[in-house]
Amino acid sequence: MATASATPKAPKQYGYWGKLLADILRDRWLYLLMLPGIALIFIFRYIPMYDLRIAFMEYNAFAPAESEWVGFGQFIDLFTKPKFGQVLGNTLYIAILKMVIGFPIPIILALMMNEMRNLKFKKVAQTLLYLPYFISWVIMAGLIMNFLDPTNGIITSLLKGITGQDMQVLTDKGAFVPMLVISDIYKGMGWGTIIYFAALSGVDPQLYEAASIDGAKRFKQLLHVTIPAIMPTVIIMLILNCNNILNAGFDQIFMLYSAPVYEVADIIDTYVYRLGIQKTSYSFSTAAGMFKSVIALILIVSVNFVAKKSGNEGVW
Amino acid sequence: MAKPTIDIAAGEIQRENRIKTSVGEKCFTVFNYTFFTLLCLIMLYPFWHVLMQSLSSTEQALRGGIFLYPKDFSIGTYQSVFKNPQIYNGFATTIFVTAIGSTLGTLLTAMTAYPLSKSRLRGSKIIMFLVLFTMIFSAGMIPNYLLIRSLGLYDSRWALILPGMVSAYNCILMKNFFLSIPEALEESARIDGANDMRIFFSIILPLSKATIATIMLFNAVMYWNDYFSAVLYIRDVDKWPLQTVLRQMLTNTQQAMQQAGVNVRQQSDANAVTIKAASIVVATVPILIVYPFVQKHFVKGVMIGGVKG
Repeated sequence: MATASATPKAPKQYGYWGKLLADILRDRWLYLLMLPGIALIFIFRYIPMYDLRIAFMEYNAFAPAESEWVGFGQFIDLFTKPKFGQVLGNTLYIAILKMVIGFPIPIILALMMNEMRNLKFKKVAQTLLYLPYFISWVIMAGLIMNFLDPTNGIITSLLKGITGQDMQVLTDKGAFVPMLVISDIYKGMGWGTIIYFAALSGVDPQLYEAASIDGAKRFKQLLHVTIPAIMPTVIIMLILNCNNILNAGFDQIFMLYSAPVYEVADIIDTYVYRLGIQKTSYSFSTAAGMFKSVIALILIVSVNFVAKKSGNEGVW
Repeated sequence: MAKPTIDIAAGEIQRENRIKTSVGEKCFTVFNYTFFTLLCLIMLYPFWHVLMQSLSSTEQALRGGIFLYPKDFSIGTYQSVFKNPQIYNGFATTIFVTAIGSTLGTLLTAMTAYPLSKSRLRGSKIIMFLVLFTMIFSAGMIPNYLLIRSLGLYDSRWALILPGMVSAYNCILMKNFFLSIPEALEESARIDGANDMRIFFSIILPLSKATIATIMLFNAVMYWNDYFSAVLYIRDVDKWPLQTVLRQMLTNTQQAMQQAGVNVRQQSDANAVTIKAASIVVATVPILIVYPFVQKHFVKGVMIGGVKG
């Protein structure tokens, strides 16, 4: 056993296949180690990918073998449905709104936090700030429903005081999406701040010293040392965010939406759930889900490509 | 803020600048601390409010106006919440799923990531790509659902555990960490006659305690917070995890009250507010208790090293 690894290369006469076999034999324990993990990934990630074929069928849940192939029929159905246009529009609108408004906030918070000198305060603030990130959307939604309760919610009465009218945010088509954006930022901003803050704490203090010797004040130091230092992180976060452009936040919306706001809040994932799981039209909803996954894949690959071409670090 | 300094009369201007910026800086510092204090209060207040509501009498809670302290202090609500067997079942499932999923999942992740950190391993590049690919492409809800059904895992707690056990993201994190362990350590063990399996379990794993703890915590949070898997895969209400039970209570008031043994007709909507509030508190408290002790590991997790594959 032990001596196998002492001869890293098989003698030449075995040729390519012999060497391959020898290498595999040498590393047999490593293959054995990764077997369960790879098996899980294969079963739970790759078999469903094979099952995407039902998007090209009229899937028969009772007799799967008798399902008929319909080519792109489900997709044509999907794209000609006005409902799908609305769902896609909602998804993009909510996701982009969350991204545009939510993306800079953690950066600004991290920069502000970086200017604080009191270490204890900084630590406590950090800890409290990212607390909501670890709270499930169920509990968050419970809090939101509580604060927006039509009769005794704190925010409801606050809004009544300001606008003078009874606002029922959770069933109001105009207010629902802003509520989604705000609560999403509330939940995620602390975590985002930590990510940038980690990047900031990696900045070599000598850079600041050098800058201050050159006469740079705090603001100039921010511009010329701090911001360039977190740019790689910003780019990576941006790329990862692009992957989410069709993820408007299923867990959040699924907890909070109701029939009165379907028109503005129904996103691809919720649509897939209602059609697929509740109405069991498996093929059609698989097609809708697959459309989403494919677009997301194309997006992240191209954004990563552009980032790398323009001299930045990509995600891979 | 800082004006550019000009060579002529540089001293003068610089002094002026210093005074100006220091006043500006002071203002900024005051603003900064005030801002973050307020922000922290905003983060905490919702939990406090719900706690106070749950400790108030039903009539007061319904009337509203509970801000900082309970009105008509009562713990009656908690008594009825804890009469609900679903809460216990929920806790049991959640603890089972979280414990198994996070420990076993982390171990399997480490076992998968370690070989992938060895460039000499034949096929490691292809396998790495296949792992990475699952991060940027997924089949989606319906194929996953059909898979669980065809594996016979429907209505089993394992359906909540197995699919998320080994994630590409954690795999990459671990792999990056293993890359940072000096090769020499393994070489010396190899000379002493240890095989790769032994090297992994008796040298690499003990060295990786901190990273493993971090990933385990991330996994634990994921499992603890997951409510949707059970919505998809579990019909038997008794096997639901806590979050799914809570979701049911929040979105379906009447049922929640019946389960809590409250006579629906008599009390109408009255109890809903306090029961919901108390349920939120019950589900949140375990997290709030462990949070201060584990939160520094999360921060460490961020530092471990990005997503670079």
